[in-house]
Amino acid sequence: MASLADRPVSFGTLTGVASRAGASHRQPARYVIDQSGARLVGENGETLVHGMPVRREASFGGTLDLDLPDGWRFSTEDIKGARAVLGEEPGAWLSNLESWHPRLVLVLIGCLLGAYAIWRWGLNVLVTLAITVTPPTLVGAIDRGNLSAMDQFLAEPTALSAVEQARVRGIFDSIAAAAPQSDFGPYRLEFRDMPAVGANAFALPGGTVVVTDDMVAEFGGDDILAGVIGHELAHVSEEHSLRQLYRSLSVYLLIALIAGDVGPILEDVLLEGSAIVSLSYSRTHEADADALGVATARVAGYDPAALAEFFRRLEAEYGDGGPAWLSTHPANADRIEQIERLAAE
Amino acid sequence: MQTSPEITLHPVKFTGSARAYFGVWLSNLLLSVVTFGIYSAWAKVRRKRFFHQNTVIDGRRFDYHATGKQILIGRAVVFVGFIIYSVLSAIPLVGIVLGVALLFAFPWFLSRSLRFNARSTSFSGVRFGFSGTYWGAFRVYLLYPFLALFTLYLAYPFVIRAQKNYSLGGHSYGTAKFTFESRIWPFYKAALLAALCSIIIIVVGVAFMFSAGMFVGLTEVLNGAEPDPTQSLIFLAIMLLVFIAVLPGYFIYSAFIRNTVYEATMLEGGHGFISTVRPLRLMWIALSNAIVSVLTLFLMVPWAEVRMARYLADCTDVEVVGDLNHFVGVESDRVSAFGDAFTDMEAFDFGIPG
Repeated sequence: MASLADRPVSFGTLTGVASRAGASHRQPARYVIDQSGARLVGENGETLVHGMPVRREASFGGTLDLDLPDGWRFSTEDIKGARAVLGEEPGAWLSNLESWHPRLVLVLIGCLLGAYAIWRWGLNVLVTLAITVTPPTLVGAIDRGNLSAMDQFLAEPTALSAVEQARVRGIFDSIAAAAPQSDFGPYRLEFRDMPAVGANAFALPGGTVVVTDDMVAEFGGDDILAGVIGHELAHVSEEHSLRQLYRSLSVYLLIALIAGDVGPILEDVLLEGSAIVSLSYSRTHEADADALGVATARVAGYDPAALAEFFRRLEAEYGDGGPAWLSTHPANADRIEQIERLAAE
Repeated sequence: MQTSPEITLHPVKFTGSARAYFGVWLSNLLLSVVTFGIYSAWAKVRRKRFFHQNTVIDGRRFDYHATGKQILIGRAVVFVGFIIYSVLSAIPLVGIVLGVALLFAFPWFLSRSLRFNARSTSFSGVRFGFSGTYWGAFRVYLLYPFLALFTLYLAYPFVIRAQKNYSLGGHSYGTAKFTFESRIWPFYKAALLAALCSIIIIVVGVAFMFSAGMFVGLTEVLNGAEPDPTQSLIFLAIMLLVFIAVLPGYFIYSAFIRNTVYEATMLEGGHGFISTVRPLRLMWIALSNAIVSVLTLFLMVPWAEVRMARYLADCTDVEVVGDLNHFVGVESDRVSAFGDAFTDMEAFDFGIPG
């Protein structure tokens, strides 16, 4: 049988308590290593068992436990002595790391640096990795599933005329040709009548863009539609919704794994905090999509500043909502300012 | 007639120090962070071993034997399942079907988890066991709570008792079985006292706010008038009041239920358990723990956990019929006679109820 320490480091005697598996009786004993080998010796000097330990382990009860042949177990509180005789047990580095020592300050600094590195870079690596292994068929299924659910509960078939549809489709095709391509297949346009969501357009992760009838009716100008579609396609090609999904999943799992053992309050604080941080992440995505949408509209030959006009009219009609740090979208004023700056370049 | 053997009262002691746990806790944190959470499986083992190995009855210790690898496999299964579930949930109908499937799988995970934890735990070298079934868990964690809905949850204490019966009555130590038998009244008493305490605090609090004139002009706001900023503070104050009211109720309930459950639990051979947790003391420890933890940026969490473990141990005694040495010895012999049939590969180690 392979033992962890076939050779003792030096001769010596350890005092402690011995017991045998299957018998609860515990007796004072000595573990002796000398010229005639290693053996466990009972109270009256009788030899209980010969041999080196099969396993050694430091317990939190302040003992070092030796598993000896024949189911004997020997526990000694003389950990220093045991290490002198048998050498350091496997895993001793961990016990040493855990012991009360000024070195723990370094461990604390390591925790803070590590947590910062995960937040700053680690998450992005995880998210990119997850997106790489996501099969396009799955993303396509997400699009189809959401579209059919919308058709069941929220949307009616479009009431737009064929001429109107053809006009918007023409804008869509020229924007789709000018936009960066998506990894998940070609862009597709869908028209729906959705009174509940008003004038709106949105993109599903697989490249399906839904434009509502109200959108065409209220903001039907070619340039504004081009800007809005460019913005939505940017969400798709930059994989914004998948990134947000994977990012919140990773954050949740990492917090549950790492902070779960730290304590319940810290876990809650971190989860709430990460929810607010993820909002800022979403605002960054909106700003990025604005920038890319403006560039796409310009390449396709539309007025790049029209998107700003869209937000200006939106603001006039619906007002601005709530404090910025609690919102998924940047404030309209900021967006208008950014779009006009980019369009003027 | 035989004279009944003498009953010995053995206090449970917790011997761990906050200082010793601090290093374990911080090392766990560091290694978990640098391994992207993978080490957390081993961290859990270290933490459990610290608390188990420092819990002592009559000089004999508890121990925890699960390996980091077992925990990691269990977590990997849950992890992959969670990712698949979350991604597929983005497809509406699939999400609903998966949710229902998961609901029915829940009792299975729960009974597996209870069994794994029991078998990974030993006292004085003899392992615990758990024999609760899937349908047992299905009844007490899904079916009964669902049925209690139709009694407007007035029958919920019966559900709680059934859950305790399932989780505790299914356990064994060596070959000796635990049994759980309790009247229903203590469960109602705990719930009623907790509710009463919360209601009194809310009534007093609202009366105080009323007399302080905090509700003036509120009817106009409810009728659609623009609230001025001081009035929105009222909603904050009401939320705070509910929080303050619920807390003592929670601790009263927890303390009474723990005491009841220990009293109602017996180990084959006539051995009993005593718990003497006092609600106010429990609340004081929990609240001061939370405040100290937050004020020290969580560095005192290890101290708080050790303090709570020590209090709960101090409130716990075991009544042993005859000699503890003898009892442990008999169980030890019986267990080794039929061998240790512990072969679980993986540990599903999420929240174990009571």
